[in-house]
Amino acid sequence: MTAVLRSLVARLRRALDPGRVLRVTPMGRVYLVLTVGIGVGALNTGNNLLYLVLGFMLASIVVSGVLSERVIWDLSVRRILPDGAFAHEPFTLRYELTRKRGHAFAVQVKEAAGLASEGAWAPVVSAGEPVVVRTSATAPRRGPWALEAVEVSTTFPFGIFEKKRTLRVADTLLVYPRRGFACEVPDQTGRRHQGDSSGTRHRDGTADVADLRELVDGEDARRVHWRRSAALGKLVVVEREREERRQHVLRVDDTRAMEALDRDCEEAAGQLSRLLAQGWDVGLEVGASRIRPGGGVQHERRLLSALARAGYASEAAG
Amino acid sequence: MIGRRLPATLARDLTALVSYGAVAVSGSLPLPVLPLVPLAVVLSLLGVRPFGQRGAASVVVLLAVAAGLFGWSFFGSLDLVIAAVSFALVVVSHRLLADPTAQTTRQVLLTSLLVLAGGAAIVGDVTFAPFVVGFIATASWAMSRLVLDGPDGAPLPGVDTAPARRQVLVGTAFIFVLGVAFFVLFPRLSWSQSRRRATPGLAGGVTGMSDTVRLGGGGGIKSNPRVVFHATLDPDPQQEQLAAYWVGRHFTRFDGREWSAPSTAEPAAPRVLLPIARQPGLRLDVRQEIELTAAYDSRTLVALDTPALFARAATIGLKGMLPTTLVHVPGDQVYASLEGVQLAYTATSVDVRGSDHAEPTQQTLELPPVDPRLRALTTELLGPATSNLEKASRLERELTRRYAYTLELPGEVDDPLADFLFDRKAGHCEDFATALAIMLRLEGIPSRVTTGFVGGQRVGNRYHVRAGDAHAWTEAFIDGAWRRFDATPEDGRGASPPRWLATLTERYEELEEWWRKRVLDYSFQDQFQFVRGLVRPPPGAGRDEPPDASDEAVTPARWGPVALAVVGSIALAIALTRRRRVHVASSFLAAVEARLTAAGVDPREAPLEELSLRLAQRGHALSAPLARATRRYLEARFGNRPMGAEERRALLAGLERRPAARPG
Repeated sequence: MTAVLRSLVARLRRALDPGRVLRVTPMGRVYLVLTVGIGVGALNTGNNLLYLVLGFMLASIVVSGVLSERVIWDLSVRRILPDGAFAHEPFTLRYELTRKRGHAFAVQVKEAAGLASEGAWAPVVSAGEPVVVRTSATAPRRGPWALEAVEVSTTFPFGIFEKKRTLRVADTLLVYPRRGFACEVPDQTGRRHQGDSSGTRHRDGTADVADLRELVDGEDARRVHWRRSAALGKLVVVEREREERRQHVLRVDDTRAMEALDRDCEEAAGQLSRLLAQGWDVGLEVGASRIRPGGGVQHERRLLSALARAGYASEAAG
Repeated sequence: MIGRRLPATLARDLTALVSYGAVAVSGSLPLPVLPLVPLAVVLSLLGVRPFGQRGAASVVVLLAVAAGLFGWSFFGSLDLVIAAVSFALVVVSHRLLADPTAQTTRQVLLTSLLVLAGGAAIVGDVTFAPFVVGFIATASWAMSRLVLDGPDGAPLPGVDTAPARRQVLVGTAFIFVLGVAFFVLFPRLSWSQSRRRATPGLAGGVTGMSDTVRLGGGGGIKSNPRVVFHATLDPDPQQEQLAAYWVGRHFTRFDGREWSAPSTAEPAAPRVLLPIARQPGLRLDVRQEIELTAAYDSRTLVALDTPALFARAATIGLKGMLPTTLVHVPGDQVYASLEGVQLAYTATSVDVRGSDHAEPTQQTLELPPVDPRLRALTTELLGPATSNLEKASRLERELTRRYAYTLELPGEVDDPLADFLFDRKAGHCEDFATALAIMLRLEGIPSRVTTGFVGGQRVGNRYHVRAGDAHAWTEAFIDGAWRRFDATPEDGRGASPPRWLATLTERYEELEEWWRKRVLDYSFQDQFQFVRGLVRPPPGAGRDEPPDASDEAVTPARWGPVALAVVGSIALAIALTRRRRVHVASSFLAAVEARLTAAGVDPREAPLEELSLRLAQRGHALSAPLARATRRYLEARFGNRPMGAEERRALLAGLERRPAARPG
């Protein structure tokens, strides 16, 4: 019975909820004070011309409410997320506004919660002509941000009121750790070399032939150049011109407290940026998950994504 | 940037100018304030902004101006409302000359609204109406520009805001309709009575009952159509054009060039009973409710001939309606003690023919040095008349017959009377009245010149008397009573404005009358009548008895606002719900479908894209042009790539080819 009653109350509340909020702008506040003042003056003096002015002011308020309702009614928003966003760095957030009928004017779109943004502004949105607007937003911390809703508002037509409607537009924005200067030297234990290139005497690679030499003990027999060995009658190996592929695997302990983990992730992000810039192949171990060393932009994105998600197995950042 | 902001700046400046106009027409703004706003608007539009960088210093100046204006109000003669409105205008001017940001625009608009409200408090004429309408239109425009310009304070280039402008226009129209509805229905539950105010207006006074009548002056006033007073008569003679004389002042002393009167006044009193009315048994005939307007410009009371009683006088000015006492100057005039823009009072007149008047003073027989030819002329004009009444009547008739009426006078001459009678033989009412008065005195008949007005045009239930109705005539004391003789030819007695001006004035007065009745004097009782009229049929409806004439007169006007509101609402509903303009691409699609149908292809067979593919698979002749048209349709409709008229024609022309059967 209680559940039924609760459900009914919820339904009633939903039915009664206009789904929009009316806020008086600073100019509107002065306008309302003047309206009340002129109303009191009209009542006090009985001056019909004051009543006339009062009538027009009240009519402006009503018209303002009707026209602004038409603006935010039948407006749909699609969020266009950026490729990558870093915490504490402004990034561009875009919205596509569409209408099925009529026009919307002076529309402002901003995130309902979480991200700090100025709000994107579109002077006109016409039916059948989607408008893409953009704004600059900033995420205060890394992580997967669950963006639930956007606020669509307008002060059209007279700027007296701001009518606001919250539209549910669910998306997840992955915010990479803050890019900054990595103050720590990468942990030496993470350094590796590809194949057996750890031997200081050996050069390895796939480029031009640099030298031929005899195979030494303990060396990988797969590098034997069999044709030359047959010709020479001894086992020789080829040495090729190639720089040593240095690898580094960064490790982040995702069991630490969130604040400490954030700092670790930021540090790791800084280090991986630096290492990649220096030509290292960088891998990452976050808790149980590992990413093998590698280079390139896509690999960097993978690493940053892993850092962004560290500690957020089941929860969102914002 | 300023170029992009120009429309918003222009809208703002126009709003300020309109609100200024609403109070400037009152004619009551202090002279130093009067040119401020127009000057500021001109400078603003020229891009001169001296207060852009001097915020703090200019605020000090503003404070000093405020102190000056309110000091003038408290210690001087400036009305407090006028002082407040003047200060608001100074603030508007100051903000107009600051940087045109969104903030200053808001400040200008809100302060202009205050100015308009101030105008409503001090102006009562219908001239206020166009300014209210203008203000709503320009303020709506300016406020919507402010919104549409967005956070940058300037419109985005390449954005077409025409649909927004159209919607604001519709909204503004709805404001007018709804505003009138609010005005009609907002309960008039005032806790104090309205204090009626009046302002002199920009035109000022035109008649002015002067203390003397100097011959030789021009008669330009005869073409002036301004109303100098309204009168409600009881009993109402129900005439469109009243043939009546309204007495203002009597003049008894003439020095050959100028008429004057003694000025020994009795003590001021709330009511003045003239000697003629003190006679027992005399019936008071016509009661008049008279309102002297700002154009009258004098404190002298007028009343229908012959005035007997003046009472209930009140001046109406900026401070509202104030009761005033009256002063009687025996044999000359009655005037109000207090000065005001307008004067309202009641007067009662009597028909005195045959009554006994007090003996006239010796002054009414005094003669100035006159031209020797005058006596001979008088004798010639008199002819065989013997009695005083016959003499006066004959002189009146002969002067009217022999002399012409003209307003084109040469100006000052040595002997204006001789000039009129012997040289020009044409003059205006003062010349005729003087000639007759002097001729009567030559015959020993007491006489005097009376100034006032003649006529009265019925507008509504009142009679309007105009500046052009100003007149002078002669009164002679014959058989114990003062009798009126008017020697001026008939065509020179009343107002003679140009025809177009008279028509224009008449329309204006009807509007003013409507405004006064339906707006200024609209009351709770009117509201009650209005609502009762909505819920009940008018008296007599459904019965055989004829409806009351007054009901017939009231009903259309009562239903007027309702009809206006209904028509406005319907227009608004149509405007808001009318079918949106068809998208160019949609009309193109319709044209494509029409051509497909003509070519024997059913366009409803499948969506256009699919249909295009099917035709291609079938090897249809229209498949290629249809594919092109389909692609362009989709781009134009959803891809934001507009289609030009030429391109549209070319694409449709491709589809007009008849399908040709392919071999095989």
